[in-house]
Parts: sequence; structure tokens; C-alpha cells
Amino acid sequence: MLTTPTADAAERSANATFDALLWALSRPGLPRQLPQAGEPALIAALVDRECHVYAGDPLLIPVVTQCGAKLVDLPQADHAFLGGLTEPELLRQLRCGSDLYPDDGATVVIRARFGTGAQVRLTGPGVNGAVDVQIGGLPDGFWARRAEMIRYPMGFDMLLLDAAQVIGLPRSTKVEVL
Amino acid sequence: MSLANLTKPWAPMSYGFLDASAKRELRRKMIKAVCVPGCQMPYASREVPMARGWGTGGLQVSLTLINPAMRVKVIDQGADDSVNAASIRRFLARVSGAPTTLDTLDADLIQSRHRIPEEILREDQVLVLQVPNPEPLRSVQPNMSIARQMHGDADYGRMWLQLYEQIVRSGRVMQGASYPSMVNGRHVMTPSPIPRWDVPKLHMARHLTILSAGREKRIFAVPPYTRVEPLVFDDVPYRVEDHGGLTCYRSGATGFFMNEIPQGDGTSTYEVSDSEYGVKAIRARDGEVVAMGETWYKDGKMPQ
Repeated sequence: MLTTPTADAAERSANATFDALLWALSRPGLPRQLPQAGEPALIAALVDRECHVYAGDPLLIPVVTQCGAKLVDLPQADHAFLGGLTEPELLRQLRCGSDLYPDDGATVVIRARFGTGAQVRLTGPGVNGAVDVQIGGLPDGFWARRAEMIRYPMGFDMLLLDAAQVIGLPRSTKVEVL
Repeated sequence: MSLANLTKPWAPMSYGFLDASAKRELRRKMIKAVCVPGCQMPYASREVPMARGWGTGGLQVSLTLINPAMRVKVIDQGADDSVNAASIRRFLARVSGAPTTLDTLDADLIQSRHRIPEEILREDQVLVLQVPNPEPLRSVQPNMSIARQMHGDADYGRMWLQLYEQIVRSGRVMQGASYPSMVNGRHVMTPSPIPRWDVPKLHMARHLTILSAGREKRIFAVPPYTRVEPLVFDDVPYRVEDHGGLTCYRSGATGFFMNEIPQGDGTSTYEVSDSEYGVKAIRARDGEVVAMGETWYKDGKMPQ
């Protein structure tokens, strides 16, 4: 008789983290609580030795190498953990995939602050009508650069982190700065 | 870095059957699928103890999402008690310890073969559809490389031609299931072989739908509040099956998708295809207190 396996701490954390990420990307603009604050839980849930990762924050480098991923420059990265972003021009280097393979577009994780800063209005799949959200801690020209880069279905998908909260911003979401 | 922190304690089986690297790959692809609604994303599709083509794609998605607090419902053509549904439900419960249910309202995760339940799914529910053939263009373009290019170019003219030919030959659109549908105004997808009756349920739905084809190794998704529009001509409106006026002979439920049961004298009787909805209707008729959810179709019609 088969005994039911029990989930260890790593599996529980990865499962709950992904649950939050999937929820957040399915409902852009609505903050979702992560089980743990910060990027390491995301890295453990998503990244392994099949991935090419860019780590903007040097403190994340040991976490990335521990999971076996290859550290690469931004244009080669399928997962980019930019940390706190100060330079909007970095977005220009992100991988956007192609019309044939939109899944080659990068997944980008950026730290931000919710409830302060610029007011943006999001529309698109996953948004019931429109949702207004205040996202601060991003450099000037960030939203304009994102809009320039994304030629749907080419583009990159963003996860904005504020401590243990996450907002998903898929490439399909249109952002209007109010 | 030492050997101790590179290895894990031995376990007879990974939680949820799939190993951690298979789950991470599926998670990465599910994220991409949600971010580009309706676009088919390739994935590795690992071995599961079930033959390819019997719902392995849906099973892998369920195994990735599952946790001991997630209540699972599995249906096959609307029925909870068919062999395919019962086997998958038992397997999911065995390898994860997750509780199971037959009631759509109680479920957190619904894996389905070819039907969407009649009761409206909530925001917190996830629907996983098993897909045998994920490529809507296959009947007009068997070369999958060219089909991929056509998706890239949004070159869907032949889909319309196919529908036009059906109308010319037969007087109506003959496509009964897997009706090609435009998602988010960009990608045409097959909604898996759900009947035409179920396609409008995906349009601007509250729940997330993930469609996964294990044999064909493709995954795609319809996020909540996403446009899903069946391909139609301006002057030939989309028609669902004429089941709005039928009554279930067992439960008396009227206005839902029915299974036709041929009789010896050449006539037919009908029973409601969503089996648990039928069971609940019978129990409510017999005077039990049963929570009946709001249904997508009201009096056999989908409100616009």
C-alpha cells in the first residue's frame, strides 16, 4: 500500500510562493501576500540549473548559484532579479522573446513600494475593467520604457516586490500613468 | 558549499509525485502561459503513471498546484464517477493527501475532461482542462512549424475559410467541440473539446483556466476577465447546442447541457451532463437542504 508523501519545508514554501505568483499574474495590480519576503523564495520556486539568471543585487548571487542556475548578463537572462532599479535604461537590455516563441521573454523581479509614488491605471487580461494602483520606488521614465519595449506578444513579465507583497504585471497589461 | 546542503534526505516519493525540477519547469511555463493568454507554450511533459492522451497534461498541472489544503474535484465529460475521473481523483489524493469533493462549490482545484461545470466558478477556483489536441490550426495546417509562424503572424484566415466551407456544405457550422476561439483579441486557441455550450463560460470569467496537453507538450491559459470570442461571421451568430429546453429525466433540471440517452422505441431521453449538479437537484427535490450555486445558464440561456 502506498503511503502518502508529506511535503517538506522547501516544497511547502515553493508551492505557496508559486500560488501567490500565479494569483498575482492572473490579477495584475492586486497585491498578494507571499509566504516569505524577498527574492530567495521566488528563486527557490522557479529557478534551477536549466535557467540563465541575472542578479542585480550582489547579495542574491550566492542564492542563485546555490540552486545551480548560470549567472549571465541581462540580454541572455530568462530570469532577471534586478533588485531596486535606479536606471530605467536597463529595461532595454531585457530579453523579449519573438513572435514565434513569446515564452523566451524574461521574467523580471523588481523591488518597489506600493501605496506611494506614481498612480497608474492598469487594463488588460485579468483586470476587471480597470484597476488604479500606486507604485513607487521606480525610476523616472520606467513606464514609458516598458511600453516601448513590449510589442505584444513579445515582451517581458514583471513581478514587483514590496517586502512580502507582490504585484504581477504581465506583458499583456496596459499601463497608463495618471 | 558542502555535500550536506546539496542533497536532501531520502524519501520514497516526491510530494505530489512530480520531482522538484519538473514542478519548477511547469511553474515557469505556467507563468508564461498566463502572461500571454491563449498562446501555446511548449513544456517538457514528464512521465506520469498514466498513458499519454488520458489527461497527463492536466494531471501534471494539478500535481504542481496541489497542496494538502486544496480540495480537488475531477470530472470527465461532466461526470465525477467515470473511470478516468475517479482514477485521477484517487491518484491526486494518494500522492498529495489533498481532500477530494464532488461538489463544484467546495472545490479549490477542478481538473476536467471536456466540460466546464454548470455552476459559476469563483475567483479563488482554478480550472484545469485536459487537452488532446492544442493546435487549432492542425486541420488547416498539419506542419506545426508553419502553424507556429501563422500564430506569430496572427494569420487565421484559413480558420474562417474552414467555418465558411462548413456553412456552404451543411448550412451551419458543424464544429461541435473545440470551437476555435480568439483570446484577448490576438491568439486563436482551441478551448479543448468542450461543447459549444461551454465556450461562453470562459469569456470574462472570474476564475483562472489552465489548459494542458501532455502528449503534445503544450500548455496555455485563460486568465480571469479575459476576452474569449468564438470565431463567427457577422451574419452567422454563434449558436450553442439546443439544450435550453430539455429536461433531465432523473432530476427534472431544465436548461443545462444534457446527455442524450437513446431509447428502444427510437426516441431519446436526456439526463443532465454535470452529474453532481443533477445529484444536487435530486436531493433538493427530495427536500434536503442543498447549496445550489448560481449557474452560468439561466432558463437555458446565457445572459449577455
